[in-house]
Amino acid sequence: MKVKLILTLALAALVVFGPVPCGGNQSAAGQAQRKTQRRKSVRYECPMHPEVTSRRAGKCPKCGMALRLAKNDGPAQTAGTAERATGTATEGAGAASSLRIPDAVVYNQNGRRLNFYTDLVKGKVVAINFIFTTCTTICPPLTATFRRVQSELGEHMGRDIELISVSVDPVTDTPARLFDFAEKFKAGPGWTFVTGDQSEIDSLLRALGVAVADKNDHTPTVLVGNDATGYWTRAYGLASPATLVKVITEASDHK
Amino acid sequence: MSLSPTSKLRAAAICLTLTAGLLTALQNARSAAARAFLAQEATAATTGLTPQEKRGKQIYVRGTTEAGREILAYVGDALIEVPGSTLPCASCHGLDGQGKPEGGVVPSNVAWETLTKPYEVTQASGRKRPPYTERALELAITRGLDPAGSKLHPAMPRYQMAREDMADLVAYLKRVGQDRDPGLTEKSITVGTIVPAKGELAGVGQAIRAALTAFFDEVNGRGGIYNRRVELKFIETADTPAATAANLKRSLQDEQVFVLAGAFTAGADREIAALAGELGVPVIGPLTLSPQTGRPLNRHVFYLLSGLEEQARALVNYASQKSQGDKSGVLVVYPESELSAGAVAAVKDQCQKNNCGPVETHGYQRAQFDAQGLAGKLGKTGKQVVLFLGAGDEAVALMREADKLNWSPAVYLTGAGGGGVMEAPPSFNRKIYLAFPTSPADQTADGAREFRALAAKYNLPRTHLATQLSAQGAAKILVEALKRAGKDVSREKLIETLEGLSDFQTGLTPAVTYGPNRRIGALGAYVVTIDLEKKEFVSASGWVNVN
Repeated sequence: MKVKLILTLALAALVVFGPVPCGGNQSAAGQAQRKTQRRKSVRYECPMHPEVTSRRAGKCPKCGMALRLAKNDGPAQTAGTAERATGTATEGAGAASSLRIPDAVVYNQNGRRLNFYTDLVKGKVVAINFIFTTCTTICPPLTATFRRVQSELGEHMGRDIELISVSVDPVTDTPARLFDFAEKFKAGPGWTFVTGDQSEIDSLLRALGVAVADKNDHTPTVLVGNDATGYWTRAYGLASPATLVKVITEASDHK
Repeated sequence: MSLSPTSKLRAAAICLTLTAGLLTALQNARSAAARAFLAQEATAATTGLTPQEKRGKQIYVRGTTEAGREILAYVGDALIEVPGSTLPCASCHGLDGQGKPEGGVVPSNVAWETLTKPYEVTQASGRKRPPYTERALELAITRGLDPAGSKLHPAMPRYQMAREDMADLVAYLKRVGQDRDPGLTEKSITVGTIVPAKGELAGVGQAIRAALTAFFDEVNGRGGIYNRRVELKFIETADTPAATAANLKRSLQDEQVFVLAGAFTAGADREIAALAGELGVPVIGPLTLSPQTGRPLNRHVFYLLSGLEEQARALVNYASQKSQGDKSGVLVVYPESELSAGAVAAVKDQCQKNNCGPVETHGYQRAQFDAQGLAGKLGKTGKQVVLFLGAGDEAVALMREADKLNWSPAVYLTGAGGGGVMEAPPSFNRKIYLAFPTSPADQTADGAREFRALAAKYNLPRTHLATQLSAQGAAKILVEALKRAGKDVSREKLIETLEGLSDFQTGLTPAVTYGPNRRIGALGAYVVTIDLEKKEFVSASGWVNVN
């Protein structure tokens, strides 16, 4: 008897509650619409960590770069700079198309005036990172990593490969401050720290695609390039020095 | 009220002579005899950290241990080794433990109550972890693992340190974010100053004491700063620079002093600046002739006026401006001493910047000063511009001998070297130039009025006026910075605020500007020449900048 009562109640519930829509259109048209929506749904990925994906735009939790639309869903776009991923053999790195590097007037850590492109980049293989001397969180590890990269590159340093650290706080970072900073991390020859007029450095950072409004948001990116062949790529500055050396060597071997 | 031009000039002359007197006194500080400072009784620290927590704080903020044991940090996937002082905890996690996000890296909040929340916490990266314990915290610091055994972000270094140091650090980590800087409570802020107590500088010491007491009594009478009373602590100098520094260290540690203002540091500048840097105590407007501005720049000491070196530079700037295109060069005559060595280098550097021609230098021994011989030797150089860095009486003797040889070059002196200069022979009329780091013209009407009112109300001494003006100038800078920093102030915040001061008028001194790379407020000098007939100072130029 009880069982029958329960069954009847259950049947009644089905009859009463069945046809009520539970969250979506039940009509055929609605279903078709839903399917289209799913086909059009987007995926965002991090340019440097392709394994990091999201359904919404935002920042990559690993490196802080803005997520871009994943390749298969449309033209790849990164927020802020229009670049196309060209793909590299190295994992975790993204490529930047041939950059136009301005010949900005800069001063190195010895106070010597230089033209950024002509004196530091032309005809060379370079790795460029972005720091400022009063930065306490990320710049020390970035610089320590570069130091290890320098020692692993050994004799190539200064000959065919140059390291460059650009200050993103040129107003505070005088050449003297850069010198003290470089000394603190025991930077060797072939590694240039540059600063300059605010406007010159700003235009340089914009051309390199790394300008931000607040210096504390500066990117941990390392730009690696072979000027002779026009090959440029990016790497994560806090990756292991071995990875960075690999990226640099690949750039150097690029024909 | 308006003074007649003669009275104004007389007032100016008196002020300048007093300034010259102060500067001469500062230059002789090392030789001043002073009885040893009697140790003050240590007051029990009512609020503040235990000795263990203090040691832990040093590790947290500086990455060094009090005992001098090594701390090593290994950062990144490759575990790159750097000294602990390169990557102290506070640089990423902040002095308050809240964390300073930068470049995509978000260091976590390490306040103890946050770490030990009694439930599982999910970090922004998705990593979940149970609450920390002391042991788990040690593992995080040494092996980069959270309480669930997951790896922390590669930017978090792994540290290697002795067991005792780890215990000290963990002890402090339980207090991070809650402790205030010493010398600061809800109701009071302790300002220290250094005063010479004995010997020929005792008068200067008394002047500083009186001027600062009056100034801060007035501030307290008006309610203090954000309802905090200013408590003054006087630290006396001792026989040697090392002993003075030791007195200062003891006082800073026992008396809980938040900041130093208007302190007499002449004679022990290097030791005091080093101590200030070591203990993290800001020093505002110390009275001295040799600001320590070598690299790396000491961030803690903010000088008010230009010292010997900067005055010498201002003189070079002025002389080059005056003798447009004349490249016959400068003759620098100086007593062999450490103070002069810096000034000579500064003159050479400034001359190079100004393209003023060859710089010839001639040092002499103070004890064997032979005016006649010196004049003879120097006269032969035929130089027309002489920068003399010795004492006033030596300068006058030299000028007398030069006069006999019919040689009367333009003679440039810094403020400290102007004593007795009115006795120079008439051939040097309007050929002697003095640099002063401050002048009566710097006193605004309001500033002068306020100062006179204080002098009357508190019966300030009528001597050592220049000292009193300087000390009160320093006090004004301190009060302004404290006001701008806000009620929730700390030593670091005070330093940041001071760095932001630009063209700040004290009303008693030249306007003051500081910056991340600048620690001398009024960088430059006034140049004054002497009318030997009327025995008067005559202004030769306005403010001469040194940059």
